[in-house]
Amino acid sequence: MRLQLNIDFSFNSFFNKKSLQKLPLAVAGLALIASFNTVNASQSDLGPSITIQETSGEKCVLPSEEMRRQHPDLLKHDRIKTLREGVRAKADGGVLDGSLKQCVNCHAVKDDNNKYVRIDNDQHFCVSCHQYAAVSIDCFQCHRDIPEGSGDFHALSNHKEVNYNAVVPGTYSLTVQDMANIAPEVHSDDN
Amino acid sequence: MTINIENEKQQDTTEIESSRRNFIFGSVAAAGLSVAPGVMLYQTANARSLSEKASSKVRWGMLVDTSKQVDWNKCVEACNKEHGLNNETHSRDDQKTQYIRVVDVTNKGTGYSMSLPVMCQHCEQAPCVDVCPTGASMTRPDGIVLVDRHRCIGCRYCMMACPYKARSFVHEVLSDQTENTPRGKGCVESCNMCVNRVDNGQDPACVEASDGAIVFGDLNDPNSAISTLLKEHGGKQIRADLKLNPGVHYQGI
Repeated sequence: MRLQLNIDFSFNSFFNKKSLQKLPLAVAGLALIASFNTVNASQSDLGPSITIQETSGEKCVLPSEEMRRQHPDLLKHDRIKTLREGVRAKADGGVLDGSLKQCVNCHAVKDDNNKYVRIDNDQHFCVSCHQYAAVSIDCFQCHRDIPEGSGDFHALSNHKEVNYNAVVPGTYSLTVQDMANIAPEVHSDDN
Repeated sequence: MTINIENEKQQDTTEIESSRRNFIFGSVAAAGLSVAPGVMLYQTANARSLSEKASSKVRWGMLVDTSKQVDWNKCVEACNKEHGLNNETHSRDDQKTQYIRVVDVTNKGTGYSMSLPVMCQHCEQAPCVDVCPTGASMTRPDGIVLVDRHRCIGCRYCMMACPYKARSFVHEVLSDQTENTPRGKGCVESCNMCVNRVDNGQDPACVEASDGAIVFGDLNDPNSAISTLLKEHGGKQIRADLKLNPGVHYQGI
C-alpha cells in the first residue's frame, strides 16, 4: 500500500506542469551532446593512438589482431626458450627473430629530428599503447629500447661487427660526461 | 729448440683437426682445408642448429695460458665493449660491474709475480646455482652458467656463495644497453661466456681479443683444440680443492 503511494507521488511530480515545460529544452540539450559525440568520436578515437613506423613490408610473426592479444605470452615463451634452453631459431622460420630485439628493430619510432625515441617518450611504439591501457612494462629496464647501431649514439652502442682482435686497451672507457651525453635524464630514484 | 717443439705440436693438432674434418665433412673437407683452423673448429664443435636446445653433449670451456705475455686488459676491454659494461654513472668503482677481473699475484717467497684474468669459472657444481632462491642463477646443459634476469630478485646470495668473486650487482638505473646483453638495476650479473656469440658459432669476445692466449672449445670433444691442449700440457682449475669442476682452465699458474 505504502509502495503504491510512493510510486503515484513520484509519477505525479515528474509530470507536473513545471517539468513538462522544461522537457523540450532537455531533449534539445541531449540531442546537442549526442551530435557533438558523433562528430568527435570517429573510429580512430576509440582506442589508443599508436605510433606505427613504416616497416619494410615484412610481416610480423602473427597477424596484427593476434599480436595485440598474444604478444605478452609470445615474449614470455620466447624468453624461456632462448635464455634457459638456448633455442635461437627464427620465429617465422627464417626472416624474423622472435625476440624483443626484433620487435624493437622493426617498430622503433623516429621523431622529427630523425632520431629514435626512447622509452620515456609517449611516441615510443610500446609506450603509445601501454600508457592508454595503464599497463606498465618493465622490459626496458634491462632491454635496449631502440635499435642498435643506428648512428645516433655513442660508439658504445655501435659495436656491431666489431673485430675484437684489434681492440686497444684504454680506448673503450666511458666518462661521466660521455654518459651524460648518451642519457641526459637518468631516472635515478636512489643509489 | 722451443720453436721446434711448438712446430711439432702445431703439426699434431692440424693433423687431428683435418682427420676430424674428413670424418665430418667428407669430400667437402678438401675445400675447407684452406680455411683457418680456428674458423673450422667452432663450426664443427657447434653442430647444433639454432632451433635445437643446448645439449649436455657439449661442455663449453676456456683454457687461459698465463705464460703468454698478453695484456689482459685487452680482453677486459673487449668484454666491456661486447656487453656494454662500465656505463654506470653513480656507482663507486668497487660497485661497477666487472665480468673479467685481472688479478695480480706475487709469491712472497720468490718474488715471482704474474697476472691472470678471472671471470665466471662456469662450474659444473655451481654454488651460485645451489643458493639461488628463485632459480634465476642457472647452468645451461652445455655448461654455461647464466643469470636469468627475468627471475633474479637481486638478493645477492650468489655473490656471497661464489668463491671466485665473479658476480656483480647493478646498483643504478642503466640505459643504452647493448641489444645482446640486457642489463638493469637490481639484478646480479656475471660473465655469460658470450652466450649469444657462442650460439651463433663465434668465440667469446675475450677469446677473440686474447691473441690466442685463451682457447675456447668443447671439453667433451676429445679432438677439440682445448681438449688436445689440456691432454698434452695439462691445466689447472683455480681452487680445484672445492671440487666444483670449473669449465675455465689455466696454464702457467
